[in-house]
Parts: sequence; C-alpha cells; structure tokens
Amino acid sequence: MNDLILPLYKNGFLTPEANFFFAIVLGFTFGFVLERTGFTRSQLIADTFYFKNIAVPKIMGVTVITATTWFILFAWMGWIDLDALFTPGTYVWPYLVGGLLFGVGMVMAGYCPGTAVAGLGTGKSDALVFIIGLFGGAFLYFVLYPYVQDFVSSSNLGVFKLHDLFGGNAYTSYILTVALESGIIGFLMLLQKLTNKGEK
Amino acid sequence: MEKKYWNPYFGGVVLGTMLFLTFVIASQGFGASGTFSRATAQLLVNSDKSWLENAYIASYFRHGDNAMLNWTVIETIGIFLGGFASALLAGRFMIRPDKAPGYPMAKRFLWALIGGMIIEFATRITRGCTSGQGLDGMATFSVGAWIFMFAAFAGALILSPLWRKQWVGENNEGGEE
Repeated sequence: MNDLILPLYKNGFLTPEANFFFAIVLGFTFGFVLERTGFTRSQLIADTFYFKNIAVPKIMGVTVITATTWFILFAWMGWIDLDALFTPGTYVWPYLVGGLLFGVGMVMAGYCPGTAVAGLGTGKSDALVFIIGLFGGAFLYFVLYPYVQDFVSSSNLGVFKLHDLFGGNAYTSYILTVALESGIIGFLMLLQKLTNKGEK
Repeated sequence: MEKKYWNPYFGGVVLGTMLFLTFVIASQGFGASGTFSRATAQLLVNSDKSWLENAYIASYFRHGDNAMLNWTVIETIGIFLGGFASALLAGRFMIRPDKAPGYPMAKRFLWALIGGMIIEFATRITRGCTSGQGLDGMATFSVGAWIFMFAAFAGALILSPLWRKQWVGENNEGGEE
C-alpha cells in the first residue's frame, strides 16, 4: 500500500508514453484555464504594470498558494516526495539580468510564451507575431551563446529553496510563500487604489 | 453571447490545483519557453547539420536526433488546443490584436515581435519563463524563481511609461472595464 509515493513519473509509476499522453491533457487544461481567466489577452497582462487591473498577480499568487498547500498537505500525509519534484536551479546574477530583460519584453509585448500559445488559440494576431519573435530570440541566443555562456552559468547555487536561505524545513518555506504571495496581492491592491484615485 | 471571465481568486485555485496535479503526475510543472528554443534548434539542424557544433543546440540532441520529443513541447500543443476550445465555447474566438483604441496596428505588431525576441532570449538566461521558472519555481520554494519574478516585475514597471500609449491610450482609455 505504502509503495506508491508521488510524483508518479519520477518514481516509475508511469511509462514515458503515458507521461506524454498526460502532457497533452494537462497542457489542454492549462490553456483552457488561461483563456477562462483572461490570461490570453495581452491587454490584461499589460494592465498590471499600470495598476489598471491586477488580476494577473492575484491569479498567480493564489495559484502558488493553492499548489503549495496541496504539496504540504500531501507531504504531511507522507504521500509525496517533494524533493523528487523538478525544481529549477538558482543562478543569482543571470536571473536578475534575465528577469529584467524578460520584464521589458513583457511590457512591450503583453505576453509570455505560455499565454501567447493559448492566445494564438483564441485568434490573437499579436500573439502570432510574438511567437514568431520567440523563434528569433532563440536564434539570437544560439548565435551569441559562446559570448554569454560564462555569465549565464555564473553564481550557481544549485537547487536552493527558501528554507535553505532562512533556515527551517519545507513548512517554513510554505509559510514564507503564503505570506509573500498574500503580502504582494495586498500591497498591489493598495497601490491600485492609490494610483487610480481621481482617475475616471 | 460572450461569457464572463472567471473571478481571479477562483481561477487561481483551479490553476494551482492543475499545477499540483501536473507535478504529481509528470514530476515537473508547466512550461512553454523551452518549446520555441527546441523548435528553433530543430529547424536549424534540419536545414544544416553543422548547427550541432553549437554547444547550446547540441544539448538538445544528447538523447536522440529529435529535440521535439519532449514533455514540455507536447504540453505546449495542449495549451494551444485548450485555449482554442475554451475561446470557442465561451464565444470569444476572434482574430484580432489587443491594444488601446486608436493605437496603430503596425506599431503594435512591431512591439509584439521585438518583445517576443527579448523574452525568448531572456528565458534562455533564466532557464524558463513565467511558467517554467516563475510558477514552477515558486511552487517548489525555489529562491531563484523569486529573484526572477521580482526582476521581471521591476523591468516591466521601470519601462512601462514608454508603452503607455499602446496599452492605456492617450487619455486613459482602454485599460480594463
């Protein structure tokens, strides 16, 4: 009974073919929910940066709170091995510089790759142009890779979690995550109120 | 008849549960930016094998000659189909771009193109986009995802005045209801 520990694929309970089948199904639900919540509109994403509408950070924050709540409950019950979940490594300087660049691209285009793919499905012509740009950006990166190679692999902390930084365990990270996400949502709601004061 | 969009908090609970299920099943989260990098690499290698000498491109072909045989690539096809199905069912499928009223179409497309290039370039540095790095990283308590998200928000906010006309319009039109 206790042999089945999540996640399924990493722990050998799924064949690669079955995992690919789930890729389509899970991707489909992701795209579906992106459309239902309005994420497929570049206008909605851009509105965030002018504090016109902060649905995007609200949805992202609640998404992270919800997912981590499931994780921590399942880990507490002993049903999931959180260390087996793929976690991106932490590269401090590359993420700072790359993140800034990403943000500039986002306010220009109003899309990120996932929302543009779903947006293309809803008929957005700017999403199509954006996706053509994605190919161009990848090409540019390949060509410039020899010159940026050293920088992008610098300041590598490996898999580095909140509790590695602040001490404690996964529960500490969970509490910090919920506090940060709710704090950000609250702060943005306040900023939205102040920014739109007197504006019609 | 066009349906109303979901309440953001409800949407977040649904999306978070989906993200949880994705990790539980596939052992990894959502992603999208890798798909376009892999597709570009595949196109280049198909046209000329010498592109394999590029170290970054070569990393996609370590386990075989098909860079597209990848979980995220297949998931991305699902994202497209899901967006399409949802828009059809909601009566929202329409071919058009998003922009403030009166903003020139050509300029809108130019920014979408340049923005797309910058974003894919940036995601190669950050090992993922708002999904593969942001959501997945924050959900697995990674410090790097927080660095990325704060930096991205800062970058967008600092330069937001430059694209105000595109999104908000001349006299605060556009925006949201």
